[in-house]
Amino acid sequence: MMNYPQVLFKNRKPDRIATLEEYRQSGGYEGLGDALSKASHKDVQQVLLDAVLLGRGGAAFPAGRKLMTVADDAPHPRYIVCNADEMEPGTFKDRVLIHADPHMLIEGMIIAGYGAQAEKGIIFIRPEYESAARILEREIKIAKEAGYLGKNILGNGYSLDIVVHRSAGRYICGEVTAQLNALMGKRANPQQPPPYPTEKGLWERPTVLQNVETLACMPHILRNGPEWFKNLALTETGAGTKIFCASGKINSPGCYELPMGIRLSEIIEVHAGGMVEGSEYKACLPGGASTRFLPREFYDIEMDFDTLRNVGHRLGTGAIMVFDQKTCLVAATLNLVEFFARESCGWCTPCREGLPYIRDLLRRLEEGEGEEEYIPMLQQMSKHLWSSYCAFAPGAVSPVESLITYFEDEVREHISQKKCPFK
Amino acid sequence: MPKIIIDNHEIEVPEGTKVIEAAEQLGIMIPRFCYHPALGSVGACRVCAVKFLEGPFKGVQMSCMIDVKDGMIVSTTDEEAVEFRQYVIEWLMLNHPHDCPVCDEGGHCLLQDMTISGGHGMRRYLGLKRTYRDQYLGPLVQHEMNRCIHCYRCSRFYQEFAGYFDLGVMQSANRTYFGRFKDGILESPFTGNLSDICPTGVYTDRPSRFFGRRWDYQRSPSLCINCSLGCHTTASARYREVVRQEARYSEAVNGYFICDRGRHGFHYARNETRPRRALIEGREVSTEEAIRAAREKLAELVKSAGPDSIACLGSGRSGLETQAMLKQLCQEKGWQGPSYFMDKSLAGKVKTAVSRLDPELAVSLHQLEGSDAIIVVGADPINEAPMLALAMRQAQRHGGKIAVVDPRPIFLPFDFTHLPVRPDEINLYLSALIKGAVDPQLIAEAGKGAAEFYQVSPSLEIVADSLQEKASILAQELRAGQKVVIVCGTQIVRETTPALAADHAQLLRAAKKQVGLFYLLPQANSFGASLLTGDEVSFSEILEGIEDGRVKSLILAENDPFYNFHDRQRLDLAIEKLDLLVVLDYFESAAVKKAQVFLPTSTLYEGGGIFINQEGRLQAAPKAYLGGISIAQIGGGNHPPRVYGRDIPGGEVRAAHQFLTQISNGDQIEDDDHTQRSLLRWIADNITPLPEIPPFDELAENGMRISSSDNTPPYFAVKWQEEKDKGNGLEDSLEIILTDWTFGTEELSSFSPPLRKLERSPCASMHTKDAARLGLDHGDKVKIKLDEGDVEVDVCAEENMASGAIVLPRHRLLEWQKIKSFPKFVSYEDVKKVST
Repeated sequence: MMNYPQVLFKNRKPDRIATLEEYRQSGGYEGLGDALSKASHKDVQQVLLDAVLLGRGGAAFPAGRKLMTVADDAPHPRYIVCNADEMEPGTFKDRVLIHADPHMLIEGMIIAGYGAQAEKGIIFIRPEYESAARILEREIKIAKEAGYLGKNILGNGYSLDIVVHRSAGRYICGEVTAQLNALMGKRANPQQPPPYPTEKGLWERPTVLQNVETLACMPHILRNGPEWFKNLALTETGAGTKIFCASGKINSPGCYELPMGIRLSEIIEVHAGGMVEGSEYKACLPGGASTRFLPREFYDIEMDFDTLRNVGHRLGTGAIMVFDQKTCLVAATLNLVEFFARESCGWCTPCREGLPYIRDLLRRLEEGEGEEEYIPMLQQMSKHLWSSYCAFAPGAVSPVESLITYFEDEVREHISQKKCPFK
Repeated sequence: MPKIIIDNHEIEVPEGTKVIEAAEQLGIMIPRFCYHPALGSVGACRVCAVKFLEGPFKGVQMSCMIDVKDGMIVSTTDEEAVEFRQYVIEWLMLNHPHDCPVCDEGGHCLLQDMTISGGHGMRRYLGLKRTYRDQYLGPLVQHEMNRCIHCYRCSRFYQEFAGYFDLGVMQSANRTYFGRFKDGILESPFTGNLSDICPTGVYTDRPSRFFGRRWDYQRSPSLCINCSLGCHTTASARYREVVRQEARYSEAVNGYFICDRGRHGFHYARNETRPRRALIEGREVSTEEAIRAAREKLAELVKSAGPDSIACLGSGRSGLETQAMLKQLCQEKGWQGPSYFMDKSLAGKVKTAVSRLDPELAVSLHQLEGSDAIIVVGADPINEAPMLALAMRQAQRHGGKIAVVDPRPIFLPFDFTHLPVRPDEINLYLSALIKGAVDPQLIAEAGKGAAEFYQVSPSLEIVADSLQEKASILAQELRAGQKVVIVCGTQIVRETTPALAADHAQLLRAAKKQVGLFYLLPQANSFGASLLTGDEVSFSEILEGIEDGRVKSLILAENDPFYNFHDRQRLDLAIEKLDLLVVLDYFESAAVKKAQVFLPTSTLYEGGGIFINQEGRLQAAPKAYLGGISIAQIGGGNHPPRVYGRDIPGGEVRAAHQFLTQISNGDQIEDDDHTQRSLLRWIADNITPLPEIPPFDELAENGMRISSSDNTPPYFAVKWQEEKDKGNGLEDSLEIILTDWTFGTEELSSFSPPLRKLERSPCASMHTKDAARLGLDHGDKVKIKLDEGDVEVDVCAEENMASGAIVLPRHRLLEWQKIKSFPKFVSYEDVKKVST
């Protein structure tokens, strides 16, 4: 088994979180110190851009570029928001990260905050992560006492405060603009840009929002440089490591920090302990519930944003959910759509009404009441759900679309046998 | 300006126009639910999808969300877009109940139209429908959530547009709910608009529920006469009664909305108690007999006591025709009057306002929405003219700063700065604020008059310490404002205030600002009344005449002094002394009961009429229906109701101006149009600023602006500044301020059963400090000693009002009419707690 460098999980321990001291000993807050003393906020933006750090929340937007969209003359106060509202089914990397080494996130936020010249940091965390929220609150206090937060950080003139905000708890709060609305006490409905949050976000002020994992990468990039970060990846297009959350019919489900671009087969067979006895790989969701089923033909694919995009798939959050030949994918899709239909914010018609419709059709298929015409209906409706207000519905129909693309025969068996063939 | 091609038609539109709007200009109505011109685009319903073929956007996109850009080619009929829209309709119909037959929206339901036109005829979805619990939202709006298609129009109107927050969105996904946190009466006075904007039947008009389909109604453009703004309405009549009134779009006046007082204020016209037959001494007679009796008695009086023993009183709620006919009658016969106002000072204030309304200063409600600073003096928008508050909110939403100088506890549905000062201080504060807001350099350049006026104006130093900070911030905001509007009331202010407001508007103009002047007048046609008012006697002079026996007969043309006059005892005695009281009116007023001769007149809905609103906009309402007693009332529960005869039962009512014509010349009745035409002729010939008024159907949609300014060059009356107000009350006293409330004080709407359910019970508002000094708590009952006895009322202790004042609503349930003259002051000893 190949041992890959552990960057984000360097201080991960089986029984407790890393202390500030341990984090410092492993090089923690060095990147911040360097940045604050030697680099301008523009330099920070450039370094992050050069490192090709792509947003780890699933959208893969370059983190450096996002910071650059904050105009020089934009008003203050500005905000840096950490998206810790980890609700993508199958995804649990942010929780593990916070429980492993919280100061890495705090340092990442300070760096990103510096890059945006923000005065206020907010960690938006899902309510189920109460323990993580408490850890962060405690460690933020410790960081402040150590001079990493508050006024005049490390004596270099930059000031930032971070607060932890517990979400009221909806999946849609993970969407950038919905999260900002939620933070402002409004309904968590997405807001179609323009204006972009980096121009007018929280209370009409520039706001940069980043995922936990993205922020956690930043201290390392600052300390070791963009080239080092890029070289961590196995593919030419990738950069850095990626935390994969493996689950499903595998022997060792869990969180694995592996190089970007690692082959799916290697993740499953080598790192996640292989398929459980008697199970064969049928398909997986490569990056959470809102990505497309990745069938057998892509078993050896290099897990990187670009390579997956090139074959019409998405890396998403890197949460790999593995299904075997005994799993009914109609039932699995139904399960996912149940989730999305429940979590729709209710703003636009296709998502609010279309998803329950799809759910109804899938239920009928699964219960053996399906009709031939359901297949084109599912296809058409899924296609039209791409014309909804935000990216939620296109994500929600990804499993449905790929179910019909790759497993139409399985769907048809439900219709012809008038029952689920797996039951 | 960018050009776009939509369905092969090219159109050039201003920058910022949405594609859906450009299409509309081409006559292509792209389906819409969430989009509303007043509420803007939010992209929620997705039914306005079209296909973008060329330009910066490609594929199926929402036409409401995209600004027109050069090079765009759009197809509304593209197969993919049509299929998508069909799906949107199908999705919306998944849960929509098929209760159209019992839904009041059926027949004018946007969802119904879109479902039919979208071709969604067969239901494919086999799942169960979602159901919700409905809420009780008060007497005006019926809630039926199962019908909801989640367009968010209601919450956007209610919260964003109107500024009230007790109705909104709750829950999520396909359980999203629109309503209140719990059942209860909606707090906003603009709730009826929910029924207008809801694209289906979630909110429907409750009082007229189950009465008819839209196509059953005689729908007619009409006007609201429940305040002086003159909002446009659509009246719906069926079975000989008006049953519903909706907002009618008017670009200049009310936009798309109206207030609840206006919407439901029409019930005086349909109430069962409305007097429909002529009366002599309380006995029902034919109108001919009543007219004959009136003519005979009047002739006798003229013979015995001369023509000036007869006096006439009109009002500001009559149309211009009636007001003018009354004037013509007095002039021709040598009778006294007419007076249209209850007291001389009010008449003076209205006359000043009308004559100082320079056409270059007058602004419409719509223009006021575009201002960036508004200073309100002596006006309480939400209570006196609710739609003004809504217009001010739009200005505020666009960044405008609002200041209110008024003693009353002012509430407005947006952020504003309130300077609660006593009525005698309003002038000072107005002057000080405006002085602080203009550039002295520009004033010096503007000429001697302006400079002198500026010189004698008090500066911000006069502002009380407690208000200093607020006032100086305000002055700065006003100074920064380029489009400034002064809103001036005419009710509680001193007689000098309207003129001072005009002078200050001129001063702002001298300081190179775009200035608007916006007066509020007491009634719908006070403007018209003012134009007709010359040097005739005032009502109190008429009363003096009655008291000393010179005046023996009074003709009340659509005015009920028993509701409006401030000294009931004096009025009662005077009326008793009369030899003859002739009353013409359209509702069951107290005066009707005292009349020797009563003539039932038609309302706006049966007679039509011309009204001039407070900005000098002459507007006309045609007849909405032919009149008569409603079938429900005449049938007495029987079906079919049968009344034999050739005429419309209860159709004896006629326009007041027609009765007056008959009283004047006794001729056989000419047809309405003829009398109206000759009256309009007379008006054009005799009333100076009024031009030839075209027939109703030729009058422009937004009426015509009357230039009423007396054309004195802008002058700056230094003397007002010098006189100031000498605080003509007693030191250490409380001024009684009579005020309007949104519901419960305005005469016409006080007859509306649904609105009566919304009335608050009357209370006397006083500052908490004054209440404390009097040993009173909020909710205590007090007895206030007025000139003609006591008034007993509950106390409302308020922080946000002037001290040294007691604010009393002219509430229909409060016996406030015990005041001899204004301003009225009482001492602290005159206010006593009543132990219960």
